Amino acid sequence: MDEQLRTKFILNIVFLLAVALLIYWGQHNLNNFEIRILNLAAIFAILGVSLNLVLGFTGMFSLGHAGFMCVGAYTTAILTMSPGSKAIIYFMEPIHPVLANIQWPLLPAILLGGITAAVFGFVIGFPALRLRDDYLAIATLGFSEIIRIIVTNTITITNGALGLKNIPSIKSLWIYWLAAILTILVIKRILNSSWGYAFRAIRDNEIAAEAMGINIFKHKLLSFTIGAFFAGLAGALMAHLITSVDPTMFRFLFTFQILLIVVLGGMGSISGSVVAALIVTIGMEVLRIVEQPMDLFGVVEIPGLPGMRMVIFSILLLLVILFYRQGLMGTREFNWDWLLNKLDRLKDRMRGEAA
Amino acid sequence: MIKLRRGKYVLLMVLLLTVSLIAIGCGGSEKDEPAETGQAEVIKIGVYEPLTGTNAAGGQMTVEGIELANQLYPEVLGQKVELVIVDNKSEKQEAANAVERLIGQENVNLIIGSYGSSLSMSGGPIAMDNGIPVIGCSPTNPAVTLDNDYYFRVCFIDPFQGTVMSNYAVNTLGAKTAAIVQDVQQDYSVGLASYFEKAFVASNGEGSIVEKVNYNTGDKDFSAQLTAIKAANPDVIFAPGNFLECGILVAKARELGITVPILGGDTWEAEEFLNQVKDYQDIYFSTHFTAEEPVTPVSTVFLDEYAKAYPDKPANAFGALGFDTYILALDAIERAGSAEPEAIKNALAATEGFEGATGIITLDANGDATKTAVIKKVDGGQFVYESKVDPQ
Repeated sequence: MDEQLRTKFILNIVFLLAVALLIYWGQHNLNNFEIRILNLAAIFAILGVSLNLVLGFTGMFSLGHAGFMCVGAYTTAILTMSPGSKAIIYFMEPIHPVLANIQWPLLPAILLGGITAAVFGFVIGFPALRLRDDYLAIATLGFSEIIRIIVTNTITITNGALGLKNIPSIKSLWIYWLAAILTILVIKRILNSSWGYAFRAIRDNEIAAEAMGINIFKHKLLSFTIGAFFAGLAGALMAHLITSVDPTMFRFLFTFQILLIVVLGGMGSISGSVVAALIVTIGMEVLRIVEQPMDLFGVVEIPGLPGMRMVIFSILLLLVILFYRQGLMGTREFNWDWLLNKLDRLKDRMRGEAA
Repeated sequence: MIKLRRGKYVLLMVLLLTVSLIAIGCGGSEKDEPAETGQAEVIKIGVYEPLTGTNAAGGQMTVEGIELANQLYPEVLGQKVELVIVDNKSEKQEAANAVERLIGQENVNLIIGSYGSSLSMSGGPIAMDNGIPVIGCSPTNPAVTLDNDYYFRVCFIDPFQGTVMSNYAVNTLGAKTAAIVQDVQQDYSVGLASYFEKAFVASNGEGSIVEKVNYNTGDKDFSAQLTAIKAANPDVIFAPGNFLECGILVAKARELGITVPILGGDTWEAEEFLNQVKDYQDIYFSTHFTAEEPVTPVSTVFLDEYAKAYPDKPANAFGALGFDTYILALDAIERAGSAEPEAIKNALAATEGFEGATGIITLDANGDATKTAVIKKVDGGQFVYESKVDPQ
């Protein structure tokens, strides 16, 4: 047992080093476009994993992720924009004097983005989490729209529907992937703690969990707030990736994109969400070739059809739902236990065949 | 049990195979590129527009206009112009990806796009970082070109419409006083109203805006606001906003016996608005383009060609703006004498008196167009061309 723990520890270190090396290589060898796609994938991985915590591990059907992203994105945008560009951009109505001269460094601003979103998550979760299933979905959807409407109307703070631009840009692969890896590690730790077991118990059977003495409301609120924190973090990173934000970007349709990642990757699998985030983001760009006019061996010429890649994703989703309902990974995780088990079994089989 | 397992592996393998196939396909196309650019001298113009998603209708109309212009004028400086059209899915992160792709993978010299100010704002900084000029067809939010020397546009911005309508009210309708009704939830409405007010006060002096009332998107009852306006008895009413609310508002005003002219912005050019107000007179609004009255010789070219290419569709403002963007791009390349992005940008910044299908376009220091606006009115249950207002 001790031996196995040590092997796993070493393997973890080796794995993280390999990832770091990969990021280092990518930072120096990939072009801006490829780096941008990978950064976006990292953001979607954070979103996928955090929604999975709420939906896949705690069993709460929440559709409020876009709203929390909106909070995170606006918080970091207002805190990090230079006073000079604030003066230019708030031309319809001047910015609230308290905010006009604030300029924070990036890291605390991004963190505060997550924290503000968590506060919103807590406040919204308090009334909404008394509901279950579809009712909860509708309530959270409504709340996330309310957040968007508030942002549209507080013009002296958010510049209303005009949106904000000139947000400091972050281009490094390191920041986005470090954030993604930290998110995964933190959520993994939470899931392996007593909280995590409580979450899963609630997901599997709420009444049984309550009978076992689990405080349902407290744990649900906990999971919801943590999910909101990471959604806010992802929103903040998104603001720095795109360098402009406006309320229309956080419509509820955005939440469905995250939902697609969670379902595709498997509800209840963190590694599944990460893999699905990579597949969806990279696939979306790679599949652009099917929208370009194609020339099949000089025989048939297919004109470019916009939207074809979405069709491919829809078919993929259909196939997953029909034949592979648990998603790519189901509730399994890709981890060392799984791999070591596989190796052991392979060894056994080889031995069996030899004998 | 084992059978099920195997099935899963097969599915996984199939998935992996598809992914790798796609990857191979992608790799292949990348390899072809240098050969292509090496053998033929082409100038690449990237187009990023929303062809799917919520803004798809507008994006498609714009692309039709751009493609039409490309068919008409396929060459500049003796080189072929190739359009690279990418969809931005009406999403900000996709718009950023699209622009980065056009610059990094496709090596375009110039970019056109996008319908929707929010999408343009996410593409703008990337183009600026890379020094590639962009011309927008119809993003009307002033912030798009603000603080970005590489972003230009051929449409007028929201505030400009407010000024145009004020000038029209003062000079043509002879108004001395005005009332404003605005939708506080729409930046479009508030923007137009505030610039109308500025221009109107500048012409008629302090106190010429006799009443200013607010409403919210989705309101259906405007009697309180209109009673206040009736009491103030203005010469004109300016009511920019969504066609839905404004349709109800204008009809209600006429019912209450308010007979003075009512003015609005380009959003009014919609079937739903017309249905509400078709029995009334003296309703004016500004717009980008009219199919009835060609404003320049180029408008005639556009209208004829559009009718030929799309016989079953009426020509629209977005198509015309797309058309103008493309010919302005070619004009700038010609004036620059090269397809080098920096030279194109400088040529674009110097654009003056350019004749487009939607009017005479001059780009100001921000890269915004000051140009002819078209005024239409409601007459006999139809939108009728009234006049055009040239910029001073």
